[in-house]
Amino acid sequence: MNKLLTAMPLIATFAVAADDNERKVMAFFEKDVRPLLIERCYECHGEKKQKGSLRMDHITYLLEGGESGPALVKGDPEKSLLIEAVRYHNSDLEMPPKEKLADKQIAILAQWVKLGAPWPEEKVKTVAVDEFGFKPEARKFWSFQPIRNPQPPAVNTKWAETNIDKFVAKKHAELGLQPAPQADKRELVRRLYFSLHGLPPTKAQTEDFVSSTDPKAYEKLVDELLASPRYGERWAQHWLDLVRYAESDGYNQDALRPDAWRYRDYVIRSLNEDKPYDQFVKEQLAGDEVDPDNPDVLVATSYLRNPIYEYNQRDAKGQYEVVLTDMTDNAGEVFLGLSFGCARCHDHKFDPILQKDYYRLRAFFTPVRWQDNMYLATPKQKEDWAKQNAIWEDATKEIRAQIDAMIEPRIQNAMHKAYEKFQADIRAMVDKKPHERAPEDWQASYFCERQMEYERERFDIAKTLAKKPEEKAKYDALVAELKKFDHLKPAPLPKAFVATDAMNVGPKNILKTRKGEQDIAPGFLTLLEPKEPVIKPRERTTGRRSALADWINRADNPLSNRVIANRVWHYLFGKGIVETPNDFGELGEEPTHPELLDYLTQRFLSGGRKLKSLHREILLSATYRQTAHILPPENALKIDPGNKYLWRFSPRRLDAEQSRDAMLMASGELNDKAGGPSEDGNGTRRSVYTIKKRNNQNEMLRAMDAPAGFVSTSERLSTTTPTQALLLLNGDWTIARAQQMAARVNSIEDAWHYALGRSPTAEEVKMADEFMAQRIPVTDAPAKLSTEELATAGLFKVDSPQERLVVDGEEVPALGDEFTVEAIAKLDTYDPVAAAVRTIASHWTNQKDNVEGFGWSIGVTGEKSRFKPRNLIIQLVGEDENSNIAYEAVPSDLRLELGVKYHIVVKVSCSQHHVEFRVQQIDKPNTPVLTSVATHSVRRGLDKGEAPYVIGGVAKRSPSHHWDGMIDAVRIVPGLLGDKAINARPEMWKTPSVVHWNAKEPLPLGLAWSSAAGEALPVDPKKQAMADLCHVLLNANEFFYLH
Amino acid sequence: MPCHHYDHPKTRREFLSQAGGGFGAVALAAMLGQEGLFSAPALSSAAAKIPNRLGKAKSVIFCFMEGGPSHLDTFDRKPLLNKLAGQKLPPSYKVPVLAMGESEAPILASKREWKQHGQSGLWISDWFKNVARHADELAVLNACQSDGINHAGGVCQMNTGSIFGGRPSLGAWVNYGLGSLNHDLPSFVVIKDSDGTVVNGVRNWGAGFMPAIYQGTEFNGEGTPVKYLDNPKSVTDIVQRQKLDFLAKLNKSYGATRKDNTELEGRIRAYELAYTMQAAAPEAVDLGGESEATKKLYGMDQPHTAVYGRNCLLARRLVERGVRFVQLYSGAGSKWDSHAKIEENHGRLTAAVDLPIAGLLSDLKQRGMLDETLVIWGGEFGRTPMSEQGDGRDHNPTGFTMWMAGGGVKGGCNYGTTDELGLYAMQDKLHVHDIHSTILHLLGVDHTKLIYQHKGRPERIDMNEGNAFEQMMAV
Repeated sequence: MNKLLTAMPLIATFAVAADDNERKVMAFFEKDVRPLLIERCYECHGEKKQKGSLRMDHITYLLEGGESGPALVKGDPEKSLLIEAVRYHNSDLEMPPKEKLADKQIAILAQWVKLGAPWPEEKVKTVAVDEFGFKPEARKFWSFQPIRNPQPPAVNTKWAETNIDKFVAKKHAELGLQPAPQADKRELVRRLYFSLHGLPPTKAQTEDFVSSTDPKAYEKLVDELLASPRYGERWAQHWLDLVRYAESDGYNQDALRPDAWRYRDYVIRSLNEDKPYDQFVKEQLAGDEVDPDNPDVLVATSYLRNPIYEYNQRDAKGQYEVVLTDMTDNAGEVFLGLSFGCARCHDHKFDPILQKDYYRLRAFFTPVRWQDNMYLATPKQKEDWAKQNAIWEDATKEIRAQIDAMIEPRIQNAMHKAYEKFQADIRAMVDKKPHERAPEDWQASYFCERQMEYERERFDIAKTLAKKPEEKAKYDALVAELKKFDHLKPAPLPKAFVATDAMNVGPKNILKTRKGEQDIAPGFLTLLEPKEPVIKPRERTTGRRSALADWINRADNPLSNRVIANRVWHYLFGKGIVETPNDFGELGEEPTHPELLDYLTQRFLSGGRKLKSLHREILLSATYRQTAHILPPENALKIDPGNKYLWRFSPRRLDAEQSRDAMLMASGELNDKAGGPSEDGNGTRRSVYTIKKRNNQNEMLRAMDAPAGFVSTSERLSTTTPTQALLLLNGDWTIARAQQMAARVNSIEDAWHYALGRSPTAEEVKMADEFMAQRIPVTDAPAKLSTEELATAGLFKVDSPQERLVVDGEEVPALGDEFTVEAIAKLDTYDPVAAAVRTIASHWTNQKDNVEGFGWSIGVTGEKSRFKPRNLIIQLVGEDENSNIAYEAVPSDLRLELGVKYHIVVKVSCSQHHVEFRVQQIDKPNTPVLTSVATHSVRRGLDKGEAPYVIGGVAKRSPSHHWDGMIDAVRIVPGLLGDKAINARPEMWKTPSVVHWNAKEPLPLGLAWSSAAGEALPVDPKKQAMADLCHVLLNANEFFYLH
Repeated sequence: MPCHHYDHPKTRREFLSQAGGGFGAVALAAMLGQEGLFSAPALSSAAAKIPNRLGKAKSVIFCFMEGGPSHLDTFDRKPLLNKLAGQKLPPSYKVPVLAMGESEAPILASKREWKQHGQSGLWISDWFKNVARHADELAVLNACQSDGINHAGGVCQMNTGSIFGGRPSLGAWVNYGLGSLNHDLPSFVVIKDSDGTVVNGVRNWGAGFMPAIYQGTEFNGEGTPVKYLDNPKSVTDIVQRQKLDFLAKLNKSYGATRKDNTELEGRIRAYELAYTMQAAAPEAVDLGGESEATKKLYGMDQPHTAVYGRNCLLARRLVERGVRFVQLYSGAGSKWDSHAKIEENHGRLTAAVDLPIAGLLSDLKQRGMLDETLVIWGGEFGRTPMSEQGDGRDHNPTGFTMWMAGGGVKGGCNYGTTDELGLYAMQDKLHVHDIHSTILHLLGVDHTKLIYQHKGRPERIDMNEGNAFEQMMAV
């Protein structure tokens, strides 16, 4: 500092010779300024890093500046950002951020700037950038180059049969690799079926192909499989992964999207029809502009509805932002193979994507508005519907007016409460009339209006009027009256889960940087197309998404066309020519066979952009037909251990859907119904038709790496964990498949065919025989108590022959979701240590999170129960209003005394969402009837589970859950019994019931005591052994691998 | 927010092998199925390379108060709150977007009694009078911030860094970075205090875009600890063993000519591990060997503390057996959420966790485990100074409190401040990203180096935005 103070006046005061002056200045720079810059600034603003795009290791960079503008103004410290920053005058710009410079150091920098920021002449490590800010090498990056038209190379090998093979063979020759022999027919047919249909071939299909002598058999099989509707079902899965398709909202509530499946069917249909890819792309991005009146096209814009949605989010603008970001990011990845997401906050670090480019892409989506009032119907259908509906409305005007008068004020009240939870600016948008609204008003108000609408949907009249029987009766009568006109009412049109633009102008699309705000117009990647496109607004929409689709679909678009060609290769070989199908940028992999990729892309373009012909060409290549089953030769392991250059077919594990579907094929249960609403994954529909809830994935699919549908998935993982093994080994679903499979096999030979698609070897038959022979049923210790001690009929005791009564499930009629259970019972003990419920009657496996576990169980709580002990409760497992699995323990708060006999009635209603309990002591006359009503959220599914009806326990032996005491009688009756039908004397029970048991009567058919010794129902040991054999085969590596 | 600069690796493989000074290599081996299955085996080369300035914690126990506990009534004392009670938020405060929209509602006083505790004199309310005995161990982070104004976003972010699903959870990152210390238990275990479903369900402990090896496994406090751990109905141990032996034979013969496929061997080992886990997991959760004194220490002798006390004790047992990351949910299903009647709700919940958590800290300390076990307390956000429905408080992600103890944190300190009403974080703000970064540092991992390459992007736990808060690390 002293030096500075003394040196500077010198310069100022004396006219020192110029070079002398300069020498001194430079000495000052080298001794004081440069070390300071190096020590405190370069780390973040040097050669390696340029935070805020600022580099400080040369004066040129400082003058050029960063995101906030030039870092200094020569000679004017007060106007220099650098000085402002080090002085910590601006709280947004404090540098260095961790610790302020010492005052002396700040003075040095200020003085240096004042002196004109002298810097010795030295070469700037220049980076030449063009007018848009791109370095030359960015422009040379492979994926941005025009698609060439490479000719298949001449190769000197007989192996190369097709053009594709020639490209592959050329690389083999260059690297010194040898292709693997052709796969045998069995390996090939299995691979081809899994590739194209996602299913194993049946025994007949395999044998047909294996035994065929037709030289064209393979080619014919390819054509046959491509023509099958199973093809679309398999390949749709790939597309659905990419567009993060799911059928639920994804946040806390994770509500079902009941109409989302129509988009899944659209994808399947499009692939089966071999719709040209450009049309497929355009329909999804802009079906509402392409052909809005065609429901088969409009449904494609469901693509724009795939983002997640939070039902109780009050930050409406924030939520729209989330949706918009998600749409933009996904489009970039899926259609262009670039991770635009990185460029949202800054120019992409590695790829030539400007932050502005992110906003240009975003601008295509900024006009989008989610809309819930559109229908998938032709104009004619809509017109017919409206006509008929008008007739119904006319006829029911008065009744509806009366109903509305009763409920509408209440609904409006609830809706208003939802409205009030939003901030004033959003409420103002909602208040605006349609013609007053700007696009952003439509977009943000949607989220408030949807929450208001949700109040209407969930308005529960039964609950509201529960305590007003007169009003309720009046209401019910009106509804009954209205019902009489149902014959006039047209069937509702299918709701469209789609989106379109809010208006034909877009809202502002503001890019904020430190330099200020810019409204960014739609545009493409600057590097490829710097000009902004001219987009003509349509009548109701902006035309922007059509323009985007047209650009993506241009034949000279180097990204989109290569991306889809690569995806096809990726799914067929398990690995793309570019191994990162969603990232064709710097951080992705470069193509292993760039010429082949361009060749395929050209073939795709010249073939009318049809995927099936591309499949065909690839599948017929010798490359695809190589075997996977060779041990890697030495040189291959050395040169190319990852098999990037295709010296064999890469071994693969079946993915989640293939595994699940293959199990259903093996068990003979696969339901081949095509399309329509999704069903639970624990059933037997193909996996693509199972319900996809983001927060609640099917257990089996999740364990096998199916994505949850939050982000675009281009490559499936293939993981192995002990918990996955536990699921496959001990899980109910797999075991049930094995049992079904065992039921249809007649021999070990059959089992091998169903599971593995081949005959067992002699060695394997021997192993299987040994296993079967070992399988003598092993039982636990016999009962500890003698039957004499249990003379009394109706006594239920753990570790006795009379533990529980199990009903043989096969011929039991369905109970439904409204039923009554009546029992005469006395409890001796409740669970003294834990919360376990002593069970009177159940239809429950004791599971809470899958469909097998759907059911119910009535009993009495234990010591540690959160409902306190001795509480009569029912546990319910079914679906709630969002089709989520709901487990609920519903307490009556009626407490049973130990050693006292009661008449117990439990009426369960899902439609009224409540349970009525009624308890009365029996042995003492004139005791009061205790009643209570408790509500619950289960709406359906109580009889969907797999458990048998059990009296005195649950389906699986679990001593603490067994009844301990007497159960004299139990009946389980469909429907809600009226008071007159209820009777404390079981001999008077006459209503037809599903289960009827009276201890004083002989044990009826279908009911059997289950003892501690084991299950009552005898199992054929041979059958069981076969089921175990099948179960092992379904767990085998060979079942899961194509190798 | 500025992003950090990355070095630019050429390929994913190179990336993995560079990442984290050897962690990546371990992780890669695990991914290829060559090493452990729950995750990589015990610390080997990785441990040696951990720089000294990083922490020494080996395990984490995260006590997650789901639903959002009030910082204003527990660890962040605001006398002004009681002075302004009944009045509207002063105009100098920016009006926040609130989940339930009652931003105009009057300020709600805290009814708690506050005292200073320990030598450090930390202010802690009577709701945590037992935890307060450990005041000198607590690093109380008063200026935490999150982006999620609702439970779904908040819980998701506290677990994964993002308010949207799809990313790996913190426990998965820890497993990916450090590997497992045991061979027969999962390395990331989650235990809930009830049947309630944690907001967003199982994906809170999911592996996101990482392989499923890293995901958390839910343990039940009672009964069968892990789903499908028991043999299926009517299958005895003998039968199970027979089936596994037969399976092993089939797999062995299939693998004989496919030795190059390491995944096949991985599957064989997975089944064997599953079998050993059938024995190890019940042993881990069997509290029969614990003394009555220990159970009492955790409050297992009293009904209201029995459940969380048991879970805390299970956590200690799991950590002893080499489990890296244990998450203990209190109030599973947003039970801490107190839009109304906060006194009643929080009174009950704090009473259920205070003694057990204090017991856990005491027990870890007396066993010499506290230095290597990082205990974290917090929820997805705090609560507002303004009232809701008269006697409740709304969500507040803009300023809330968490605390950490053990695992090499400098205790007996408050770090960061909120404004005088506790609405906004002011000094030393710690965003969730910073909290995650700090946790990794305490575990000896530089969060900027622990990278997982996904779809061409180098991903980090902190989404490239976090800074480790090194001040709170004991030197």
